[in-house]
Amino acid sequence: MTTVKPILLAEDNPRDAELALAAMEEHHIADKVVVCHDGAEVLDYLYCRGIFAAREQGNPVVVFLDLKMPKVDGLEVLRAIKNDANLKPIPVVMLTSSREERDLAQSYALGANAYVVKPVEFHQFITAVKELGIFWGVINEPPPESSDPSA
Amino acid sequence: MESVTQESPTTPASVHSEPISHSSQAPIPKTGWLMERFAHWSIEQRVLAGFGLVFAGIVVISAISYRNTSVLLENSRLDTKSHELVQLLGSVEEALGAAESGHRRYLVTGDESYLKSYRATVEQMPEYLRYLRGLVNEGAEQRDRVERLERLITSQLKAEAGAIIQREKRGYEGVRHLALTGAAKNEIEEIHRLTTDLDMTEQRALHARVEESAGSTKNTIALLGLGAFLQLVLLASVYFLIHHDIAERRRVAAELQSRGELLQAANKELEAFSYSVSHDLRAPLRHIDGYAALLSKAAGETLNDKARRYLQTISNSAKQMGQLIDDLLVFSRMGRQDMLYTTVNLDQLIKTVLHDLRLDLQGRTISWTIHPLPNVSGDPAMLRQVFVNLISNALKFTATRPEAKIEIGAGPRTSGETEVFVRDNGVGFDMQYVNKLFGVFQRLHRNDEFEGTGIGLANVRRIIHRHGGRTWAEGAPDQGATFHFSLPLARSLR
Repeated sequence: MTTVKPILLAEDNPRDAELALAAMEEHHIADKVVVCHDGAEVLDYLYCRGIFAAREQGNPVVVFLDLKMPKVDGLEVLRAIKNDANLKPIPVVMLTSSREERDLAQSYALGANAYVVKPVEFHQFITAVKELGIFWGVINEPPPESSDPSA
Repeated sequence: MESVTQESPTTPASVHSEPISHSSQAPIPKTGWLMERFAHWSIEQRVLAGFGLVFAGIVVISAISYRNTSVLLENSRLDTKSHELVQLLGSVEEALGAAESGHRRYLVTGDESYLKSYRATVEQMPEYLRYLRGLVNEGAEQRDRVERLERLITSQLKAEAGAIIQREKRGYEGVRHLALTGAAKNEIEEIHRLTTDLDMTEQRALHARVEESAGSTKNTIALLGLGAFLQLVLLASVYFLIHHDIAERRRVAAELQSRGELLQAANKELEAFSYSVSHDLRAPLRHIDGYAALLSKAAGETLNDKARRYLQTISNSAKQMGQLIDDLLVFSRMGRQDMLYTTVNLDQLIKTVLHDLRLDLQGRTISWTIHPLPNVSGDPAMLRQVFVNLISNALKFTATRPEAKIEIGAGPRTSGETEVFVRDNGVGFDMQYVNKLFGVFQRLHRNDEFEGTGIGLANVRRIIHRHGGRTWAEGAPDQGATFHFSLPLARSLR
């Protein structure tokens, strides 16, 4: 439990992931980021199964969740997280292209902690991702790891 | 629908009349004219004409049947009379015969008991004759005969009475010559002849009436049959029309429903489309701008000015396309969004809009003339968008003026609608292009003159149309422009 808690970035588009990483790199938080490429991988990570079976126990400090992803989409992942007592405390930030009211309403209804629309303009995007990374990864105090992982 | 039903029969009618006018003449054109006239009628007129015809037929049939029945009733009354008359004539003759033979026996024997039947006849005769007169009030000939009969009867009875008196006075010898033949031989023969005539005439009349009755009964039955048939036709056509109408209504309702479903499906598809646009079209743009920025950062030092400008252009174009997509999505949402109707205070609305635009007002010299505006009925968020767009436009196109003049006011309140205008002293436009002003992505200025995607006025028009109002504009190059819109006073949705 000595390692820094990771930031989980769920992003199916490798270019978006790269741009996000590039943004975080500027503030040296990129090495804390774990990238998942679809919803199923996110759930595998959170439940330590599949390719993440061997990972160190513990919840990520924050989950950046894209809405539109293959296999299991963002809203389903969000529902799974918020319905699990163990995972519920993890802050979830929706990071998406959609400005649709429907998506906003559904995300908040399911318990999203924040909703950020990815700006088209790179500078704005970089600023947004950087600030998100710093706020949730550095400034914000994550919930205590209360439950026994073996339970 | 009406025009279709009128058009189609006209063609064959006019085609029909052509060879007629060439080949034959006199009687046919009249029916041809009627046919043509009929062909011009609408379906409703034809139905009405058909019903009128059938109805008139039924009325005529009813009238004739009524008359026939009256005749039958009258005939049956006359028949009863005739039968009574014939019977009465028999009785009269019998009574006269009895009187005659009675008086004759008295003349021979002088036995008073023989006068009993004679006296009874004399007593009854006036009653008989009165009755007889009552039965023959039709037909002058018969009446005449009855009169003659009366006279003869009276004279017979008188003659017999005279003979009886003579017998009393002078005894058998005085009336011997009468005793054999009777006192009124001539009268009796004449009476018999008259009675026979009366009887025969009456029988003939009776027979004729029976014939007439049978004929008119047959007639009536046939007419009633025809009437029943016409009523059946009427009922059948009413049924057919109602059935046709109901079927038509059902068909229209079904079609409306299926169209509604199609429209709903199309709307859903459109929604899915714009959702997908907002998700998927933005991502590559972000990548273009992002990688251009990364490239510029990674290799910026080694690039020359030209290459840096290229990168900048790539980045700018991506941003512009992002803006276009956003505008298009807003525009599409404006058309689908549900409207919330409340009373909107336009004075208040303008104040908030100007507050929102305060950043654009910085460093500008603007003289505002804002007249009091009325309250209107509408969706506040949408109407706010209208004023944001119109005022932003006014600000944008007056940017080149040392002092911008912007005036907002209400037009004269006409019946049923409120008119609002926004006027500026900006660069204006050529009225020749006025139709393009409110089109989607239509622009009257080059991008390096005035920025914009060309969606603002399209949004204004869409919003005002959804409120049931109108938009229009006037202007001249370099002389400013005025944009008007109207809102109906009574709420009407679109």
